[in-house]
Amino acid sequence: MTKFRLLPVVFVIIMLVALLIFPASAKAAKIMYIGGTMSLTGAYAEDSAAILAAYEDYMKYVNETKLLAPWRKEKFPADITLELLWRDDELKPAKALTIYEELKAKGMLVFRASGSPQALALKDRLKEDGFGAPSMATGPYLMTPPGTIFTYYPIYTDDLAAVADWFKEKWKETRKPRVAYLTADTAFGKSIEIPEMKAYLEKVGYEFVGSQYVPLVPTAPPTTQLMWLKEKKVDLVLGVMVNPGSQPTVKEMVRLGMGPHLEYKLTFACGTPSHLQIFLPAMGELGNGFVVGGGFPSWDEPCAGIKFCHELQEKYRPTKRVPNIMYVGGMVEAMIQVEALRLALKEVPFEKLKPIDVLNHGFYKIKNLETGDLSSTPLTYGPGKIEGVDMVRVDQILKGKIVKQGVWPCRHIYKR
Amino acid sequence: MGLCFGTFQEKYSQDMAIFRTRLQWGMLFAFIIFLLACPLFFSDRILTIMTMIGIAIISVHGLNILTGYCGQISIGHVGFMAVGAYISAILTAKLGWSFWTALPCAALAAGMAGLIFGLPSLKIKGFYLIMATVAAHFIIIWLILQIYDVTGGPDGLPVPKPKIGSIVLKSKGSYFYLVTAIACLSTLLTKNIVRTRAGRAFVAIRDNDLAAEVMGISLWSYKLQAFFIGCVYAGVAGALLVHYYAFASVDQFPFMDSVWYLGMLIVGGMGSNVGAIFGAISLKLLDELVTIVGPILSGAVAAPAAASLALITRGLVIIIFLIFEPRGLAHRWGMIKAYFKLWPFSHEE
Repeated sequence: MTKFRLLPVVFVIIMLVALLIFPASAKAAKIMYIGGTMSLTGAYAEDSAAILAAYEDYMKYVNETKLLAPWRKEKFPADITLELLWRDDELKPAKALTIYEELKAKGMLVFRASGSPQALALKDRLKEDGFGAPSMATGPYLMTPPGTIFTYYPIYTDDLAAVADWFKEKWKETRKPRVAYLTADTAFGKSIEIPEMKAYLEKVGYEFVGSQYVPLVPTAPPTTQLMWLKEKKVDLVLGVMVNPGSQPTVKEMVRLGMGPHLEYKLTFACGTPSHLQIFLPAMGELGNGFVVGGGFPSWDEPCAGIKFCHELQEKYRPTKRVPNIMYVGGMVEAMIQVEALRLALKEVPFEKLKPIDVLNHGFYKIKNLETGDLSSTPLTYGPGKIEGVDMVRVDQILKGKIVKQGVWPCRHIYKR
Repeated sequence: MGLCFGTFQEKYSQDMAIFRTRLQWGMLFAFIIFLLACPLFFSDRILTIMTMIGIAIISVHGLNILTGYCGQISIGHVGFMAVGAYISAILTAKLGWSFWTALPCAALAAGMAGLIFGLPSLKIKGFYLIMATVAAHFIIIWLILQIYDVTGGPDGLPVPKPKIGSIVLKSKGSYFYLVTAIACLSTLLTKNIVRTRAGRAFVAIRDNDLAAEVMGISLWSYKLQAFFIGCVYAGVAGALLVHYYAFASVDQFPFMDSVWYLGMLIVGGMGSNVGAIFGAISLKLLDELVTIVGPILSGAVAAPAAASLALITRGLVIIIFLIFEPRGLAHRWGMIKAYFKLWPFSHEE
């Protein structure tokens, strides 16, 4: 019998679990929620933590000042308070689905999707329910067909097309430059290997050589792959990697004497999320010549958006500042969500507002949203237009500094 | 199933029946009514959780046959789910087949993949077999990524929702019914499989394969049968998963999920049907609980640290069960049943 004295305790625990799982009442005061699912565990944990911090800071800023940004005149309704709702999905699609249902039941009108697996699982559901959601994931799958997940930096193929344009403009020799892929051996890395991308490279005058792969997080230097590039006399290497992949790859390139300023002239370029702002402090001048397309401005760039991010961090987290550049991404996301809510509130009263109203009167009405140059262009969305930017920013590390090379038009390579 | 005092079976058929008393039939009936009524009372969120639990139960049943009953430890289970998922996705999305025709094909294809990757089990076991099944996962995912034109490669494949006639199973309630029905059928099927000659052979192989072989049990045949059956379940679960997401992508089948499925089996109790169900329910609910608690704790500790709670908690639960209750929740459940069966004369321990 003694063993079963614990039964009441077990019962109480089960009841507590049930209370936590069943949703609380949705709309009580005039509160609107921002946020959504975050991937605080797994490969994108650092990025997601920075995004979450930006959401928190922006929410506090809007609640305190009712302003949307220092460079904007519009104000958020004074009688409405923003609250941040988030859950960690551990990069699992199944968890993202239940989190979505939970937050929807709590009265959330906007959502966010974190990585590609979650975006894929949520895409159909968000569209069915008429939910708009910015996402830090960006890939061709978001456009087949376009749903209601909105991007604020270009998809990988467009990033690399811009890099190819930039490189071609600088090309002095009479022969065709030789290009190859050196990309992460994952779905995200291989998403650039589409026939349209190869066709574009050949159209603009490249000789396409082939592909090589490295693990997302390499456990050994990719010497074999780099030697293959050398043998094939490649001039430009394009890839999609995260920083733990690009850093050891560039280190090995330098060791083998490969780089734009070394004996074997080779330029290596990645699309965002291989962030230069993380790459540079880790690599220093060793990373000279590395190029990233579609990135965010660096922390020392004198643009209004970066100044705003510094101010918010100084005000709300002076002792624990977030150095990760995805703070900027989170800031843009929070701006998109709040702007969608603000625009929708102009058309539909708070009490009657539904997610579909925020989508139709909010997200779809966002035109030229100024982000203080945090995104490569002001953001514009509409039905079927889920890519917010039309230009791609290209940056390169030169003499231990991030140097902006300019912006190139978004080629919209992916057509399906 | 243990029976209360005073219940006697007079025929062999009565003794073999799964539901043997009026009370058991009554409880089954009440359970079915409860399941049917769920969409009426529960929110979309609860239905989504229950649907996910249902899919996990189907998958864990398969793993239970393979690992729990036959002793062939597999950490490539999610790879076989991916096979079923993609076969169903390709047949429905690319060839326009009905979901109902694609589902058995997906199950069979996953079973065939299981047969192929089960072949090493004839020569290796234990740690080496685990490594072989890990390899199976990565080979399957690699293959899916390579055949771009068929699978959509890294872009994935949009998948249609299942239909019954002209009715599309679009709502959470309708999909919940579908998954629940298949989960119940798979539970019944597992219960019966383990009572067959093959089921008894699986247990014999698990307990001592050398002794089993000496008794005349063909290790070659039965190990492969276990792989085939276990992977058929995985295929069904995978197909249900992608039709629920309406999208098939390799990202939906991460390697770590195979480890968690094995964890569900440990927590629930290996070699027990009830254990597979308990394991899937308890770990999925635990997952939900820590997801909710994480943001609450983030006031006290940093958000990423609070979020890591999920991994830590699940890992801890599995370790605790391995140390203190290696026979899992199923064993606890058996003790509770035994207590009430003897009540009011239960003895003190």
